[in-house]
Amino acid sequence: MSVAGTLEGTSRKRTAGSNRRRLGKRVYGVVLIAAILLFWEVSSRLGWIVSAYWPPVSQIFQAAIVQLAGGDILVSLAATLRRAAIGFAVGSTLGVALGILLGRSKVLRIALLPLIEIVRPIPTPAVIPPLIMFLGVDDALKIFAISLATFFPVFTNTFAGVATVDDTLIQTARTFRTSWARTLLRVILPATLPAIAAGLRTATSLTLVVAVVSEMIAGSSGIGYYLVEMQYALRPDLMYAAVMYLAITGYTINRLFLVLEARLIPWMGKT
Amino acid sequence: MSQRSDVYRTSLLGLLSPAIVLSIWETAGLLGWVNPILLPRPSQIVWTLVELVANGAVFPPLLYTVALFVVGYVIASILGVTIGVAMATSETLYGVLEPLVEILRPIPKSALVPVLFLFLGIGKATMITVVALAAVFPVLISTFQGVRGLDPVLLDTARTFQTSRMRTIVSIVLPASLPMILAGMRVALGLGLVLVILAEMLAGEDGVGFRILDLQRAFQIRDMFAWIFVLVALGGGLMMLFDLVERRLVPWRGKT
Amino acid sequence: MRKVFLIGFAVMGLFVLAIQRATASDLEKVRVSIIPINDVAPLFVAMQNGYFRELGLEIDTTPSAGGAAGIPGLIGGSFDVVYGNVVSVLLASQQGLDVKVIAPGTKVDQRETDTTPILVRSDSGIKSGKDLEGKSISVNTRNNVIWLYARAWIKATGGDPDKVTFKEIPFPQVEDALRQQRVDASFLVAPFSVISRQKPGLTAIANPYSDIQPGVDVGQYITTGKLLSTKPETIKKFAAGLRKGAEWFNANRTSDAILAVISGYTKTDASILKSVALGAAPLRSDLTQVKKTMDLMIENKLLTGPIDLAKIIDPMAL
Repeated sequence: MSVAGTLEGTSRKRTAGSNRRRLGKRVYGVVLIAAILLFWEVSSRLGWIVSAYWPPVSQIFQAAIVQLAGGDILVSLAATLRRAAIGFAVGSTLGVALGILLGRSKVLRIALLPLIEIVRPIPTPAVIPPLIMFLGVDDALKIFAISLATFFPVFTNTFAGVATVDDTLIQTARTFRTSWARTLLRVILPATLPAIAAGLRTATSLTLVVAVVSEMIAGSSGIGYYLVEMQYALRPDLMYAAVMYLAITGYTINRLFLVLEARLIPWMGKT
Repeated sequence: MSQRSDVYRTSLLGLLSPAIVLSIWETAGLLGWVNPILLPRPSQIVWTLVELVANGAVFPPLLYTVALFVVGYVIASILGVTIGVAMATSETLYGVLEPLVEILRPIPKSALVPVLFLFLGIGKATMITVVALAAVFPVLISTFQGVRGLDPVLLDTARTFQTSRMRTIVSIVLPASLPMILAGMRVALGLGLVLVILAEMLAGEDGVGFRILDLQRAFQIRDMFAWIFVLVALGGGLMMLFDLVERRLVPWRGKT
Repeated sequence: MRKVFLIGFAVMGLFVLAIQRATASDLEKVRVSIIPINDVAPLFVAMQNGYFRELGLEIDTTPSAGGAAGIPGLIGGSFDVVYGNVVSVLLASQQGLDVKVIAPGTKVDQRETDTTPILVRSDSGIKSGKDLEGKSISVNTRNNVIWLYARAWIKATGGDPDKVTFKEIPFPQVEDALRQQRVDASFLVAPFSVISRQKPGLTAIANPYSDIQPGVDVGQYITTGKLLSTKPETIKKFAAGLRKGAEWFNANRTSDAILAVISGYTKTDASILKSVALGAAPLRSDLTQVKKTMDLMIENKLLTGPIDLAKIIDPMAL
């Protein structure tokens, strides 16, 4: 279920030779991208596409570089990332906790699972308009929306992961009178970790999407609002530049996650 | 999934907690603990909802949203599976497409909504593109991983029997990687829904997302909640439908 | 692993927090939601000239493109004051929300500075509401002030608004939509209305505000009744500071200093702004104008009946 994974990590073994060949082939891909960018540049410069919102790509790169020296994009991005990080932490903590609790306790399962199942299919943008009236348009609202979006994949995966924990393991722990907390930490959690990690990874990609979504709808700060603001300020170059920075951020987070995962759960994917 | 089903087996008990929450909400409204304008009672909302369904007003926006979503989702699924299989089975195509996919994939697709408005204009084309863009990558990645993860013996066998490439893909590769493809499509379903609602909110002409924001702007909170209920039903319905199809197609899933 | 993640994110969060920490002060903070358009220039003038600081206030503005989050955010407690349009205020009030107008914001009373026209393609031959029947017109949002006056103009020029298709297109996209014939007419605001006419092909055929209701009070500063009764002094100071800003603005509205102020918060190039005429800022709300708008809303079924305007518009705005 590692849907947010990578195009490289595959189980099939490859020889060094095929790797080199593959790298050579990737040159075509880079050429393709260069061709697309060139077409973009030319279509704008020569006026094939006439629109105030179709700036030459060189202009976008230039805007992006200028922003590095201190501009609104990085400040906005930082605001978004801060909210995304808090929301992700809250949502995933709750997701893991409830996933394990509901996975182990039938009473809680009966009490809470139907509620969770009812709330789960709501697309996040839909809850933002009513929530604005209760939480305002500040951090509370956005962090809530991000937590909500993060919660479900983490919860679902954890819950399913707990179900697959070998019951004899738990029975054994019980035989040895291992305390409840110890059983949880030493038996259930390690066995569930790969499932949790898969959930967390799905959640990371959702987190950024929803952070941007909430800023667009209840705009006031952050990169999502910045995009809309630049749309109104007639600065398409800055808008595309912001999208570029977002892409880089998304890519970095995904990579970081894969590295952490390989470090911390070496047994991942070897089931 | 057996845990989930034991809840539904005791379905009366399963209804208990939603019922309790609804009654607390209702009571809070009746006793004036919450501002009745900002948070109408569930009974009022349900009544509004019944009216919406009875006079048929619910259907045009609902169908509009469903149509946009389905078209975008189907396009994304077909493209995702095709490109995923192509990249997994051909080294050349992998080389050509991988850099592009790696560049486009990490962009939070919500950020592309205003960009797409700029160059596709406001309208159905943009909405469908948004949904397709959001949904295509999960399908693509998981198809790719599914195909790459196949047992090489399976493919070698096909080669031994000199099965054509097309045939191998259709009758061996696709069925074998179906569980992974469906896993990707499940993630895509949720993402696609989020994006279609967002796009409708930012510049819709119709649709459920448009209605929700429009009613909020007109401060018709009760109607807004009724439409959110509609959306819950839509999301839930689509997920149930997906589960059903998946169970049909991959009966062995979840029984490992 | 989760722990590592949490610690990582916590560290990241603290880092970002530290960067963003604002300087504390003894001034009383007033959070204001604005729309980044020319109309709120007097507020920014008052801030830059220190009028609010003199009164012991610190203004913290939050932009909301299109203003959609304004009044909902006010209700949700994110803002103390919101710049919003007259139609939203009346709609909110009709639904029982506790909103009060405390100062005027935008008034269109001179045709020369009315930069909100209806645009059509020059070769379309459309000149009146009658010509628009069976065709389409774009507004930024349905059921808002723009929509209302577009309908009123269509009716006043012999057309039936119900026979015209209203499309929602955000202002920045209007020019492309018009030129690509995806819509036949558009009710547009500055600076878009000015920029889109810099290239040939588009013509303004009307200025609905000036044509239908000269002197219309389009925008207001709004707060909640609750805030007005718990912090009356703060709100009064805000209104006083704003009025001083409006007076300075009116005295200097052709100077380049104003352009720099507007460019600062709209992020639009000063060169673009230069081509947009600035109307005088109103100093008082006009009850008869608001009443006219209310009657139009009733006529177009936005309101079910008249509202007691004295309850919505606080005397300090008059």
